[in-house]
Amino acid sequence: MTQTVGFYTDTTVCIGCKACEVACHQWNALPARGGGAVPLSGLSYDNTVHLSDLDWRHVRFIEQFSPDRSRARWLMMSDVCKHCVNAPCLEVCPTGAIVRTEFDTVYIQEPVCNGCRDCISACPFGVIHVSETEHIARKCTFCYDRLKAGLVPACAQACPTRSIQFGPIDEMKRRAEERVRRLHGQGEFDAYLYGADDEILGGLNAFYLLMDKPEVYHLPTKVVARLPSRSVWPSSIRSIAASLVMALGAFLAFGRRKEAVSRTEAVES
Amino acid sequence: MNRFVTDPEWHGWIVWYFYLGGIAAGAYAIASMAALFGTEADRRGTRAAFYIAFPIVNLCGLFLTIDLGRPDRFWHMLIQSRTGHPMLKWWSPMSAGAWGLAIFGAFSFASFLGVCAEDGHLGLGRLAPLARRLGRALVGRIFEIGGTLSAFFLGAYTGTLITATNQPVWADTSWLSALFLASSASTGAASILLLNRGWFRNINHEVAKKLELVDLWAVVLEGAMLVTFAWALGDLRWDAFGRWPGFLIVAVVAPFGVVLPLALAFVQTRGASTLSAAFALFAGFALRYAIVMMPGRFFLLHQT
Repeated sequence: MTQTVGFYTDTTVCIGCKACEVACHQWNALPARGGGAVPLSGLSYDNTVHLSDLDWRHVRFIEQFSPDRSRARWLMMSDVCKHCVNAPCLEVCPTGAIVRTEFDTVYIQEPVCNGCRDCISACPFGVIHVSETEHIARKCTFCYDRLKAGLVPACAQACPTRSIQFGPIDEMKRRAEERVRRLHGQGEFDAYLYGADDEILGGLNAFYLLMDKPEVYHLPTKVVARLPSRSVWPSSIRSIAASLVMALGAFLAFGRRKEAVSRTEAVES
Repeated sequence: MNRFVTDPEWHGWIVWYFYLGGIAAGAYAIASMAALFGTEADRRGTRAAFYIAFPIVNLCGLFLTIDLGRPDRFWHMLIQSRTGHPMLKWWSPMSAGAWGLAIFGAFSFASFLGVCAEDGHLGLGRLAPLARRLGRALVGRIFEIGGTLSAFFLGAYTGTLITATNQPVWADTSWLSALFLASSASTGAASILLLNRGWFRNINHEVAKKLELVDLWAVVLEGAMLVTFAWALGDLRWDAFGRWPGFLIVAVVAPFGVVLPLALAFVQTRGASTLSAAFALFAGFALRYAIVMMPGRFFLLHQT
């Protein structure tokens, strides 16, 4: 069986060069939004703003200042589809368009997708978007075509600082844990791994080394990033209970058939 | 609440689907239960539901298809495009719902043909004796139970569909399915009442009273579900109900869908029950609009 692969993104060495974004656009033939005439967002150097149908990689810039603005920190993170172990999008997809590949990545079969957008409502990371031209769901493919040819995904290949690392998921986790230990040893006690364990959706095959709370990077906590199916049974049980109450109401209103029939017959006679 | 999600843009068509699907399901369930539990007069007095359920469910299918990014691939919901095998993921509310809608469509089609035959419409009058015989036989009872269950499913699953997401408000409570079911019953009963007032004028007084009782029961259930829904949202309820469109629940759904119908129930006049039914239909739409549009507003709110 093919080995599970993953991305380990070390945000501490990201320099915000956006080579990953460019490589992703180039390899996947994703055109620039608005013909390249993208308005400035005002969000630091971030004019991509969020992942989209055309932007499968997004470098987020987070500027942090102390209250007196004497100290500053610039956090950067290359965001991407997390290829969750228990993927909400895959779970809800009603057409079977979203599948898990032999590399344990999550892939949208474009000819099958009918644009119902259930995957968008299910994704806790806001990754999936509908194509404005194709009207189907689109997201990072983990460069499935490159993986099949034994190549490294374009973003990881292009990353000049090795902030984005690619390889067998176990190897990635080992490297990430070693890096966290080293950072802690250097006094950077804020460093931690997000998504490397199984607490968020069974684990993320694209996990991160972060230096601040997940919300700072626009990432949900494990409390709110949940599998859609967790609600199906509680919701179903409540609707069954409500149905029984309505059935009881109908029985009380329309019931006592014999009594009513005899009364009607009495009136008719 | 997860603020880092994308708006699925389930807007206009979906609001109408939730609303009309709820009416069809609620009306059909009540009519089926009237046939199951009640007298022949009850069955005749609620048959308006069988006239409207099938056309409405067709309209629902049309709305859902139009709402797809690729309407030409609507059949991928039911059939695997590559193998031709049935496509069912029971754990996916949308997949289960597509089948639920199809099954309800089959029940409502059969009932539609049945009432057309009994009333001599569409040239089916010669089948009237057969329709009556089937209706009174065991197969008719089994059919009514199946129809009721499929209608309950259609009325409620839309709530489960939006709960089984990671969207703000929708994913923060498990009570939307029960709330939608109660609203579905309330709007369904209201539809039958109004149709009886308008088209089926020969409904006897006793049946009308029974329908009003069912409507009242549904309104009380809807009120209880609204309170429970608000309670289940916790602190989020202030954000949810304090702004448009959630504010509609406080300003329209609660007064027009619950309070006024309950007050009018004490006024024992034909006009009061008609007004109450009209209010229920109005509030039913407001409820679907408010709930469906709510996450989109949250998303925009927190982006700015």
